[in-house]
Amino acid sequence: MIAQQDRKLALSYISVAYIAFLIGTLMGLLQVFIRNDKLDLPAWLDYYQILTAHGVLLALIYTTFFIFAFFITGMSKSLGTFGPKVRLWSWVGFWVTLLGTVMATVLIVIGEASVLYTFYAPLKANGWYYVGLALVIIGTWIASFALIGHYRVWRKNNKGQLSPLFAFMTITTIIMWLIACLGVVATVLFQYIPWAFGWTDTINVELSRSLFWFFGHPLVYFWLLPAYIAWYVIVPKILNVPVFSDSLARLAFVLFILFSIPVGFHHQLTEPGITNFWKFLQVVLTFMVIIPSLMTAFTMFANFEISGRKKGATGLFGWFKKLPWKDIRFTSIFIAMAFFIPGGAGGIINASFQLNEVVHNTLWVVGHFHITVGTPVAMTFMGLTFWLIPYLTGRKFTKSMKVLAFVQIITWSIGMLLMSTAQHVLGLLGAPRRTAYSGYNGHPSAMEWFDGILSSHVTMAVGGSILFVSAMILIYIVVMSMFLSPKALKVEDQVEFPMAESDKSHTPKWLENWWIWIGIAFVLIIIAYAIPLSSMIMHAPPGSEGFKTW
Amino acid sequence: MSKKNEHDGLDLRGTLISVLAVGIIIIVMWVAVYMMYVAR
Repeated sequence: MIAQQDRKLALSYISVAYIAFLIGTLMGLLQVFIRNDKLDLPAWLDYYQILTAHGVLLALIYTTFFIFAFFITGMSKSLGTFGPKVRLWSWVGFWVTLLGTVMATVLIVIGEASVLYTFYAPLKANGWYYVGLALVIIGTWIASFALIGHYRVWRKNNKGQLSPLFAFMTITTIIMWLIACLGVVATVLFQYIPWAFGWTDTINVELSRSLFWFFGHPLVYFWLLPAYIAWYVIVPKILNVPVFSDSLARLAFVLFILFSIPVGFHHQLTEPGITNFWKFLQVVLTFMVIIPSLMTAFTMFANFEISGRKKGATGLFGWFKKLPWKDIRFTSIFIAMAFFIPGGAGGIINASFQLNEVVHNTLWVVGHFHITVGTPVAMTFMGLTFWLIPYLTGRKFTKSMKVLAFVQIITWSIGMLLMSTAQHVLGLLGAPRRTAYSGYNGHPSAMEWFDGILSSHVTMAVGGSILFVSAMILIYIVVMSMFLSPKALKVEDQVEFPMAESDKSHTPKWLENWWIWIGIAFVLIIIAYAIPLSSMIMHAPPGSEGFKTW
Repeated sequence: MSKKNEHDGLDLRGTLISVLAVGIIIIVMWVAVYMMYVAR
């Protein structure tokens, strides 16, 4: 068990995460009914308002707060109890992030910021909304530097040693996050805030979008890498095997520092302000991410096979039956991984330059989002939640909670399968995203979107409703684990933090020389971004005034 | 540093086939959308 004060810190982060989750999933439920023309919102509430709240509260706030709770607990466990300065700055980071979250949420609720979570210019929100977003980022930076400080103390006390794998992976994720945020900080501070408060009249739209996606794509890996930490470090412990390869795991992670950032243009493939050469270069760099992704897939299957064979499995796939299916900590993460196979494949399609024309701005992208961050990441976080909260509160994860956890995971899987499949198919048929309900004046093509089993908005709504039920079951489990489940007084009732052993004896030391990876990352960023971004500034088109379309 | 390979003697045939299957899923999905792109 980690120190009481560190547990309190982690629990505070988790509490905010699940309050955001509760509101965010409710907004999701409203959306599927509106798109199905089955719900009219009252005059004071707008579709784009709830779409913004859904994206911000789930994709930005739930993920960020949960990730820091996981990091804090894992870093306290693997490197030792936080010192007073680390703890103080972690709390400062928490409060600043929370302040930013509250500001941004209030402005969305009062209808001053219906600009969606990507806040694309020239849509213009109230200036304080951007200040709120900036505070969210600043808060995460403070909390990140606190964790880096804790890591540095450990390194100083353990000279010449490689850090524990959990800590290494946490620091990798944080380094990537800090570099990625430079883009969004630059655009929010120097473009959006002066423009939104009226200090400048116009904004360079292409530059703002490019700086956003400099941040936006690695943001995806900020969500994904903590899930990968669970896959690499937690899952083997549950399977009772050691980490498959310490050096492979570390190499995969540093490759994400290199290849997750200089790739943002693959989100802007249809935009005219960037020449094809720079788009193509970033498409190639995007495809490099397939390497650490398949290294991860290989490691996961190897863990499964080694574990199954240890239990006496024979034949090519006999190990599959020997996996601990009755253990929700495993089953939840396994299903999360399974969703990531089509999710990852869809990502390759999205990034494939011309193929992007088929899916861009369609519901396919929404479907893709929900089988990447919405299930592989979110369901891994759910699988962690089941034991992480009881571990932190010292309560039991009771039998009835375990049954409910299975119901929750199964319903989330069914709901997501229905909703995301419908979204993918509808997208291929041309149904747009980011739009409220429209009948397109009864156009036959648009009417087809309401027919069929898998290619229908009705299926999407059924899936979305099941997902909401699942989300509420999860909230119930969270509340029980946080406040009401019986205390684990006996040792056998106490919930453990499963962290696998990792053999570092074969791991080269240079894998933990951060300056190598940060240096290469910046070289790649300069190659991919310096010329196109400076061109956008030096040959800037006329700027745009702000628009408030809601 | 020990020279013994920590993975000696492991039977990972199932892993190999599984990762290849993941690769095939990626290729099939990609080709399907590519065909749609060409057809449109």
